[in-house]
Amino acid sequence: MVPDYLTIAEAAKLIETKELSPVELVESRLARIEKLDGQLHSFIRVLPDAALAAAKTAESEIVAGRYKGPMHGIPIGLKDIYETKGVPTTGHSKVMQDHVPAADAYSVTKLRDAGSVVMGKLATHEFAFGGPSFDLPWPPACNPWDTTRFTGGSSSGTGASVPAGLVLCGTGSDTGGSIRGPAAYCGLAGIKPSYGLISRRGILPLAFSLDHAGPMAWTAEDCAIMLQAMAGHDPEDPASASPPIPDYRKALTGDVKGLRIGLIRHFYTTDNEANPATCDAIDAAAKKFEDMGASVREITLSPLAEWAACGVLIMMTEAYAIHEANLRTRFTDFGEIFRDRMVLAGLWTAADYVQALRRRRELVDELDGAMAGLDLVMTAAAPTEAPKIDEVPKFAVLDRPSLTMPFNVTGSPAMSVCCGFTDTGLPLSFQIVGKRFADATVLRAADAYERATPWRERRPSL
Amino acid sequence: MTRQELDAVLARLGLDVPEAERDQIAANAHYAEAMAALVKKPRWVGAEPAHTVAFPEK
Repeated sequence: MVPDYLTIAEAAKLIETKELSPVELVESRLARIEKLDGQLHSFIRVLPDAALAAAKTAESEIVAGRYKGPMHGIPIGLKDIYETKGVPTTGHSKVMQDHVPAADAYSVTKLRDAGSVVMGKLATHEFAFGGPSFDLPWPPACNPWDTTRFTGGSSSGTGASVPAGLVLCGTGSDTGGSIRGPAAYCGLAGIKPSYGLISRRGILPLAFSLDHAGPMAWTAEDCAIMLQAMAGHDPEDPASASPPIPDYRKALTGDVKGLRIGLIRHFYTTDNEANPATCDAIDAAAKKFEDMGASVREITLSPLAEWAACGVLIMMTEAYAIHEANLRTRFTDFGEIFRDRMVLAGLWTAADYVQALRRRRELVDELDGAMAGLDLVMTAAAPTEAPKIDEVPKFAVLDRPSLTMPFNVTGSPAMSVCCGFTDTGLPLSFQIVGKRFADATVLRAADAYERATPWRERRPSL
Repeated sequence: MTRQELDAVLARLGLDVPEAERDQIAANAHYAEAMAALVKKPRWVGAEPAHTVAFPEK
């Protein structure tokens, strides 16, 4: 009997020693999807035949002694902006509901090469921006901790499916917080890696200069395993970087002694006021890091509204350019949230966009300067626990400054880490951020924190 | 932003926005204006944007 909940690390151990077959594992996830996804709507398309075929291939390879590593035979979900060969990749939109790519996204190819089993395509906000929307061909995903609540977005389907055990991990994308937001609201681990670490090729773009692909899984260790499979230079992605890729899992030593952490408290106590439960949880997490031997001191940056304005203006103007032709010819084929947000993007001028880019250079230098004597910075990932899904404002991305956008502006690796639960059982989180291409340090800190706290033991009761 | 101003912008952009959505968009346009104002800091004429980069030499 396959457990309801397994991490990648747990499953990989069992698969490698042939105590668990990838076929059994995939069958158990398909059964779980059938049982639970009617409530969660995390998938817009399940691929049972293809998944079972891939699982059988993985099983044969492993039996023949050709074990590829910890992603071999692992069931994964793909956010439905990751192009998937021969499978509709829709962006959760009527506008692209019939788009069937001829090739996988580069990072999907890498995941398949590592032996992953693709279970299906996961819900997203429309084109990674417009949601939660109820006027699209498929419903929005629901939070597994309370199905009346928002998952966060835009990697909403991944956010819902992983904690519920429907898949062991999934892909996300993050242009202003779309990995970290659902990770925060749904209590999983999600890292927006350094810009350029994972190829953007074959992922439907929201904003070219802010889009990051990344893993979402139950633990930091699982994120490290998945990142290992996804990271690496792609000569056909003009933003793809070529840093040396370390062994992310080996970097998880459990030791944070001597790490220097800057706490950006004003971001969530003044600039975008978090509720008391969130503030208390982050304070406790900072204290935990100190107990483990890290040093934590408060730092001050420019007001959050400035970071958010810079990033949101760049994001929305780039998105407008991407979708301009369709917005002009088939405006009402888009969902209302996406299309009306795009109208606001059309109000900005070319000069506004360039000014935002000038501000971006200044802010990148500011964070780099602030981190000169630090290894990490820490702040909130979200100001509250998950709100009710029908109370998310249409212009939500604009009305309160985003806690996650600063680190899209700077291209820094940034991770959401669960740090407790409210009295009503909803996850709380903090955000930990590293220097560019020091993703291993971010993962090490997150992993050490998880090992020292009980939060990973708790799953939604479904 | 007034409705008239929004209607003029939409005509220029070529966007066929339903009547029912226009008032709400006009009422929220201030967010866009505020964000544009926040990025317009006083800066030297030579202050570079983030996207000026050196081309690869090969």
